[in-house]
Amino acid sequence: MAHSDQPAMELRRLSFRYPNGRLALEEITCAVPQGDRVAIVGPSGAGKSTLLMHLNGLLPSPSLSKDEEAQVVIEGQAVTRSRLQQIRRQVGFLFQDPDDQLFCPTVQEDVAFGPLNLGLNRAEVLVRVERGLAAVGMADCLTRNPSELSTGERKRVCLAGILACDPSILVLDEPTSNLDPRARRQLLHILREFAGTLIVATHDLDFVIDLCSRVLVLESGKVQADGPTERVLSDPLIMDRHGLEVPWRLRR
Amino acid sequence: MHIRDGILAPEVCLVAGAISLGAITYSLRRLRFDLEDRAVPLTGMMAAIVFAGQMVNFPLFGLPVSGHLLGGVLAAVMLGPWAGCLAISMVLIVQAVLFSDGGLMSLGANILNMAVVGAWGGYAVYATIRRMLGNGAAATVSAAVIAAWLSVLGAAALFCAEFLCSSRSAGVDPRGVLSLMVLYHSLIGVGEALITGAVLSFVLARRADLVPTPNAPGSVGTIGRFAVTGLMAALAVAAIVAPFKSESPDGLDAAAQNLKFDKLEVERPPLVLDDYAIPVPEPVWWPALPVSLAGIVGTLVVFIAAVVLAGITRRNVVPIRVADGSHGN
Amino acid sequence: MGTSGIGSDAGSQSICHALPAGMKLLLTLGIILVAGLIPLEHWPAQGLLLALVFVGLSVAGVTMRYLVRRLALFLPLLLVFGLSVPMARSNDAAWSWTLSLWLRCTVSFMAGLWLVHVLPFRDLLTTLRYWHFPPALIAMLGFMYRYTFILWDELRRLRNARAARDFGGGPWWRVWSINSQVIGLLLLRAMERAERTHRAMLARGWDGSIRFLDGKD
Repeated sequence: MAHSDQPAMELRRLSFRYPNGRLALEEITCAVPQGDRVAIVGPSGAGKSTLLMHLNGLLPSPSLSKDEEAQVVIEGQAVTRSRLQQIRRQVGFLFQDPDDQLFCPTVQEDVAFGPLNLGLNRAEVLVRVERGLAAVGMADCLTRNPSELSTGERKRVCLAGILACDPSILVLDEPTSNLDPRARRQLLHILREFAGTLIVATHDLDFVIDLCSRVLVLESGKVQADGPTERVLSDPLIMDRHGLEVPWRLRR
Repeated sequence: MHIRDGILAPEVCLVAGAISLGAITYSLRRLRFDLEDRAVPLTGMMAAIVFAGQMVNFPLFGLPVSGHLLGGVLAAVMLGPWAGCLAISMVLIVQAVLFSDGGLMSLGANILNMAVVGAWGGYAVYATIRRMLGNGAAATVSAAVIAAWLSVLGAAALFCAEFLCSSRSAGVDPRGVLSLMVLYHSLIGVGEALITGAVLSFVLARRADLVPTPNAPGSVGTIGRFAVTGLMAALAVAAIVAPFKSESPDGLDAAAQNLKFDKLEVERPPLVLDDYAIPVPEPVWWPALPVSLAGIVGTLVVFIAAVVLAGITRRNVVPIRVADGSHGN
Repeated sequence: MGTSGIGSDAGSQSICHALPAGMKLLLTLGIILVAGLIPLEHWPAQGLLLALVFVGLSVAGVTMRYLVRRLALFLPLLLVFGLSVPMARSNDAAWSWTLSLWLRCTVSFMAGLWLVHVLPFRDLLTTLRYWHFPPALIAMLGFMYRYTFILWDELRRLRNARAARDFGGGPWWRVWSINSQVIGLLLLRAMERAERTHRAMLARGWDGSIRFLDGKD
């Protein structure tokens, strides 16, 4: 269903206003080719999470009702209400707080949640669970209670739960927040193994340098800069203006 | 508050369990329409909130024991009667099975008294009063305060009924237990009313949008609500009156008691300590006076609390701030 | 109420632990039922039951300290409750009723403690599933179980923060007001978390229908 010549994700003048009247996103237009790894950076409150949630149709938007008005297109398909289930199969979403995502009493049940919702049978689900947990190095934690795991481990289990659904696009919201350096490095390795498209919203610019090839700078709901990672992040003008800092590694 | 195993007769537990099972099944069915796919996370979370909230101890005016939130009305106000009933039921199930807090066989009775009366009954009272007072934040708090108090008294009345059914065959005078329980519950009821009101006032001041209007579709019909409110009020009155009721056992009661006494005289077990005849004074005032005092003082305190908390809430509430979901942005 | 029961999955193993979960539940219920039905005249039977439950508790590895602590909280209330009948009218019937109440309540309570010690939460869920309880209720119970831990942690943080500012204590209405605020804050945060969790569930294809891994429904 996905054609390689189509962008993995396309935003067409995406705007969003919260019910309280605050404009969170304003006419954002951009496209991400398949297999790309893109970072979205910007100060807190810039609209990063809001943007990500649109990729999965998680926010009520009038544009969800009609094909022609769609503001988000995933692999050539407009994100509309009738297509949400299909879109959510293609787009895996890692939330910022692993405790928001892990809601089952055991790791196994949690990783199985996505595949079960895909309508797979028991044998297939178990294979997916095993594969997902193996991919994040947590294969021996099947019967553990998520509350007993460290933040890094919980994050990896979340990721396993998403990988078990076999998405072609991975959307990550602040993946490195609250992680210690080792857990952060493990996450980096896992994400580098992922073959599909990656879209990451983060404050961790070193992580961006290590993982992504392209950076979008978002502030006040608008894309302020867009380009190759090193060029954008090493530009003091862009960085300073949008409340960011040039990472040490790129300072000359 | 939790009934222990051994206090109620097995057949009473069985009947209460059957009613509770029906109530849970009905709540589950209604919930599917009310909250749809949000039912599992919201109800599960509410149960966790009540469970964790019960860990917070409230000192009882210098007494060596402390009270805590029961949460039936609070849960129903936040999520509606069906989710509220389920949340409290789950708390009771977990407490009984995993903590031995409250009996296993009397789980059904506990669910009936606290979850069904607390959430269904409490919600009906809340919705009715709120309709009369209007939809402001102050009205919400006042209604919840009164509903919380009535729900605890309703639970007390129901317990009295269950206990009467259980102890009938034993041929003992239940007035002592009834007055003890009613006294205890009037205290708990005032506490529950205060806590529910204060928590709700706090929530309304920050996220008034989280507290739904009871007129939303899917809630109980008006007539039903009035009926249940009347019933709850009657139960509350019954709780206060219960200890007086069998002051002079008449008719059937007397006959049953006489029979039993005779029987016991015959089959008097040899082991029973012979000092049951220790001259315990029979204080005539014991059942009557404290209970009526508790009833009157409780009513006064709850109404004052309703007015005061409503006033505080009116002052604190900011105009509705809609959830913008921008967490972690 | 302690937190000892809920996380006891990794606890000690004994013959009692090895029993099927459903049997543990039925056994406990059976003992409580029998204790409720034995009349006072047959007190030796009640005593035998008490001894049996006590043996069960020791085999399951319940420490004396735990037992004494739980009983110390339980017995005084039972004592007062039982005495309220003879207090109102002291006669044979009242006293034998009270004695019989004390006995069967203690037996039932100790049987309940045994169950607390040998039944991990997950086994309870599996058993309820096996007994065809409504799937939605089981899913909610699982959800509740998971988030109870998180809310406990959050509660601890909130109270520490409060204690740091208020030095605890104060007149009772002040404590009541602070405690209510703590619960209110907990409620707000938890409800917001529930919204986020709901979103995370939707993102993984949740449509409101409950599916379990063990393939029954």
